[in-house]
Amino acid sequence: MNERLRKLIYLFRPRSVAIVGGSSMPNKIGTVLMKNLIEGRFMGDVYAVNPKYTAVLGKPCYPKVSDIPKPVDCVIIATPAETVPGILEDCGSKGVKGVIVLSGGFEEVGRNDLADRMKAISEKYNIPVIGPNCLGVFDPYTRVDSIFLPAFKLERPGPGNIAFVTQSGAVGSTVVDLAAHYGMGISKFISYGNGTVLNECDMLEFLEKDKETEIIILYLEGVKDGRRLLEWMKKVNPKKPIVAMKAGKYGKAMAAARSHTGNIAGNYMAYKAAFRQAKVTEANDLQELFDFVKIFNQPLPKGNRVAVITNGGGMGVLTADAINSEGMEIADYSEETKVALKKILPSYGNVGNPLDLVADAGVEAYDKAIEVLMADEGVDSLAIVLLTQTPPMDERIIGVLTRASDDRRKAVVTISVGGAYTEAYQRALESKGVPSYNSPLAAVKAMHMLTNYAAWKGKMKKEG
Amino acid sequence: MAMLEDFRLLEKNGFRLLPYKLATDEDGAVAAAVKIGYPVALKVVSEEISHKTEVNGVKIRIRDEAGLRLAYKEIMDGAKGHKVDGILVQKMARKGIELIIGGRKDPQFGHMVVLGLGGVYVEIFRDITARICPVVEQDVEEMILELKTHPLLEGARGAKPIDRAALKRMVLGICKFMAKEDIKELDLNPVIFDENGGDIVDVRFTR
Repeated sequence: MNERLRKLIYLFRPRSVAIVGGSSMPNKIGTVLMKNLIEGRFMGDVYAVNPKYTAVLGKPCYPKVSDIPKPVDCVIIATPAETVPGILEDCGSKGVKGVIVLSGGFEEVGRNDLADRMKAISEKYNIPVIGPNCLGVFDPYTRVDSIFLPAFKLERPGPGNIAFVTQSGAVGSTVVDLAAHYGMGISKFISYGNGTVLNECDMLEFLEKDKETEIIILYLEGVKDGRRLLEWMKKVNPKKPIVAMKAGKYGKAMAAARSHTGNIAGNYMAYKAAFRQAKVTEANDLQELFDFVKIFNQPLPKGNRVAVITNGGGMGVLTADAINSEGMEIADYSEETKVALKKILPSYGNVGNPLDLVADAGVEAYDKAIEVLMADEGVDSLAIVLLTQTPPMDERIIGVLTRASDDRRKAVVTISVGGAYTEAYQRALESKGVPSYNSPLAAVKAMHMLTNYAAWKGKMKKEG
Repeated sequence: MAMLEDFRLLEKNGFRLLPYKLATDEDGAVAAAVKIGYPVALKVVSEEISHKTEVNGVKIRIRDEAGLRLAYKEIMDGAKGHKVDGILVQKMARKGIELIIGGRKDPQFGHMVVLGLGGVYVEIFRDITARICPVVEQDVEEMILELKTHPLLEGARGAKPIDRAALKRMVLGICKFMAKEDIKELDLNPVIFDENGGDIVDVRFTR
């Protein structure tokens, strides 16, 4: 990692932040940015930079970054594109450690000249720059937050281990909001926009060494250097699983393609090839993105044999169908397991896979069944179906399922289908880090992805 | 004569093609067939015809002189109104599984190689998979397994499995070829494989 990229950490863990364009006028981006830091409980010093004021929302305000008397680690710029090179130069001469440029009006509107000046200044002073034309960063550990969408309109997630790297700000912000809503924690949010100075490859390189990050979401529209991306995905994915999504798959077919290959193997095919080569997990829509990413906190299964536990026969059957259609296997229990399970079931119950605990089953039956199946060497992962609506079921099940998820002998998914009451259970489970799904197929697909990743990693280890 | 140039470039790069000769009249075609040995296939060669089968421009499994003379006339009839450069006489390919091996230079990722179920229905079945070049044998193995039709390659319904090693060599070779000759777009379609190897039947590429 070069020095400029190493300095990127100052954008996530700055001792001080200055907002160029900081304001207190209602409905201004500069105001949202100030409030993000002040109301979001950012612990470092906050400055506004704006020639019109001497103070903004109780924080000191200066005409230029270089007028700030103390050192500044991170500068967030939200002023028109033409002003950006000058401000960046000022940041450089002051010794600012890193800059986020939110403003649009660069390559995306043909102003490559402005982008080139940005690049040159960044190189001259060795300053990392995120953007332009982006939402910048959000770090729930330090509460640095350059997302210019007010927190009351767009929730911020709590701390976790998932880094989210996105080219698009709009999609990125939606995912941030949903992650918060689902109770999913993140390590870092990075919206890099045009990627003029630092792009997705730099982010992967940076996150490879990031202490808080264990899983990476990569949302791509188009990349400039596909080969470099492939190399970085290959390098990082074995250490920190990447779930990638490519938007803009079906662009206009290549003009005048002469061959079959030219007709059918468009640009998306190259992305898909690269994902497969790097063994990166590919999501096809935002729902899959969430479904897939949350299972990567589970331990890697040793194989594809799944045990299903349910308190409703039909849901168990649907889950078994999904296991078959995904090409996973229904686990066979050992004799020991069968004897132990028989003791848990009521006299009219049958030991099978799916294991139907029947609707009379209480929290204790789940607890015992999970314990038995965790010990069975012929089971690689558990799909636990929970009908929250049965009379004996109550919120103690959340503790039981959390213990199962934290057990780490086997990968666990939970499946609950239902309305508002059930959703409350799911949210509670998610907030404890238990992967929870409202569709058997979605749950099994996610397990399949984890199992594939595990199989590949296992193979890689064996081959050294 | 793009087709012949493509053939020659492949040969120059170490690919073994089915024996072929270009004939410019009927007697020449007969002589070529004798030299190559029956059975043969005849193909119209014309810059103006890009889909040969659509003008009845391909005749296969020709076993003798009478059959060849008839096929020659039929091809010339079908090509009426087009400028014809000649007729390609090609040794008949083996019977087997028709595959496509293709390639393309992507603006972001560079050369990529494509493997799939070949023939004239490539666009309909779209049973294809791709990798970024260069690839290693393991990549090709994974490509094969990703094809929906891969059981055909394993030898479905009593057939013997195809010569996988030869297929892998060909895919690896195509990656090298594209890099060396800086090919923009390429199709080997079909390439027909059986248990003893594969025959490149038709080729087209853009440099």
